[in-house]
Amino acid sequence: MDELLKPALYRAEGTTAVPQRPALLGGECGACGYVFFPLQRYGCEKCGSLDLKPRDLSGAGSLLASARVHLHAGKGRVAPFTVGAIRLDDGPIVRTLIVEEAGPLAVGQRMATTLETATDAEGAPRLDLRFAPEA
Amino acid sequence: MTTLKDLRPAYVAGIGFHRYQFISDTPYVELGLTAVRGALADAGLPWPAVESAYVAKALLPMAPGRPMLRHLGATGLPIVHVEDASASGSAAFRHAVMEVASGLADIVLVIGVDKPMPVGRAESLARIGGLADDAIAPFTHFALLADAYAARSGAKVEDIALVALKNHRNGAKNPFAQHQKERTLDEILNGKKIAGGFTSLQCTPVGEGAAAVIVASEEGLKRHGLGLDRAIRVAGSAGRSQRVYDDATRYDAMLTQETAAIALREAGLSPSDIDVAELHDAFTVEEVEYLEAMGFAPEGQAVPMLKEGAFDIGGRCAVSPSGGLISMGHPIGPTGVGQIGEITRQLRGEAGPRQQPGARHGLAHMVGVGAVCYVHLLSRD
Ligand SMILES: [Zn+2]
Repeated sequence: MDELLKPALYRAEGTTAVPQRPALLGGECGACGYVFFPLQRYGCEKCGSLDLKPRDLSGAGSLLASARVHLHAGKGRVAPFTVGAIRLDDGPIVRTLIVEEAGPLAVGQRMATTLETATDAEGAPRLDLRFAPEA
Repeated sequence: MTTLKDLRPAYVAGIGFHRYQFISDTPYVELGLTAVRGALADAGLPWPAVESAYVAKALLPMAPGRPMLRHLGATGLPIVHVEDASASGSAAFRHAVMEVASGLADIVLVIGVDKPMPVGRAESLARIGGLADDAIAPFTHFALLADAYAARSGAKVEDIALVALKNHRNGAKNPFAQHQKERTLDEILNGKKIAGGFTSLQCTPVGEGAAAVIVASEEGLKRHGLGLDRAIRVAGSAGRSQRVYDDATRYDAMLTQETAAIALREAGLSPSDIDVAELHDAFTVEEVEYLEAMGFAPEGQAVPMLKEGAFDIGGRCAVSPSGGLISMGHPIGPTGVGQIGEITRQLRGEAGPRQQPGARHGLAHMVGVGAVCYVHLLSRD
């Protein structure tokens, strides 16, 4: 059951800087230094260069915003749930789910990644990335 | 670089609408023809005078233009379909203006028409998925921005909801609006919860409709025995797409800021000159964000100004006098065209109970997913 839901986007092991938290799999432009998430190979959004390398991003950052979602039409996800925008310490901003047991959230607070059990399209259990207030 | 200023003037000479409404059995052909016939009658022009047509739509299937326009008489005119998400109508208007200003045509139709239909977003085909894209619907994107705005400015949920109070009040006076009902702040705040501080009355409704405008040159109008007495000049037009911003989540506001600055510079106007503005207020927080981004309010001051009535009809600048996307509605293809129609009506002094007194300069603004942005400035000479 330690299979990941989206292994192209994150991994269980952390980075050297933040070893205990799952890392995000981003990219960095060799030409202009732009750091981005997720990794893509089409070309740098900032300068157009094709010199794009993988860059592991630490699973730590601070909360830019959060919202409790009360209504959701998409299948495979049941409201209510909470989403947040997190500025990673390594630069990029990500938007994703916040763990349900997070309690009240305040803009600016420290957040970190964690893996939580979810299900894939066929209903099989998989680990998916969430953010939680830093313990 | 050549701008509109260097070309001959283009005017809005006619406007027409089919009411924005909840989804119905009315065929899109009837929605569109109602708006086109309205615009032709308003301009005093016969259909064969129209030399070229731009059809804005984002949801209807491929090529809806000729199956609709042939019922006015198949004159053989060129028809271009324009899709730019929420900004489709604004993009179509910009291209009609360029065709007239350049001298390639004298009388051009812009018609926006749409009906709600399930369509995907091409971005999802790029195979660069995020962590939980499916969890972040447009209302959730803006609910996150509202939370960040509140943290930044000190505004409360009920402060941001004042945008809905104003826009439903304006829409209640607009016979073409989807919502035509004044609401209390209580009703707005205690409605169905959507995401974050948003309730349903703070979000644009899903709907259908049509809006049309005729863009013309002075020569074209003269040829048909018409003058410029009710014509409104297009003073500026700018279109942009998203760049890389430091706060990537605030791309709508950043893009709005740079697009508005270009259009205002081209027209030789500043925000304080603008008497009436229609902007992309699909969700309440957008209006306060864009008012600050475009320079109608200093950073963090849009809410206090809103409370003072600065953006009411009769205030310093009437913002969304039509009711905006929140109350008039957002049928997608028509929306940007409808904004031009409302600004034209206001600058002509023909907006009746919604009239901004003495309106001379107006601004229309749309963003579309992608993201793209358009800003147009209209002036009464
Ligand atoms: Zn680069």
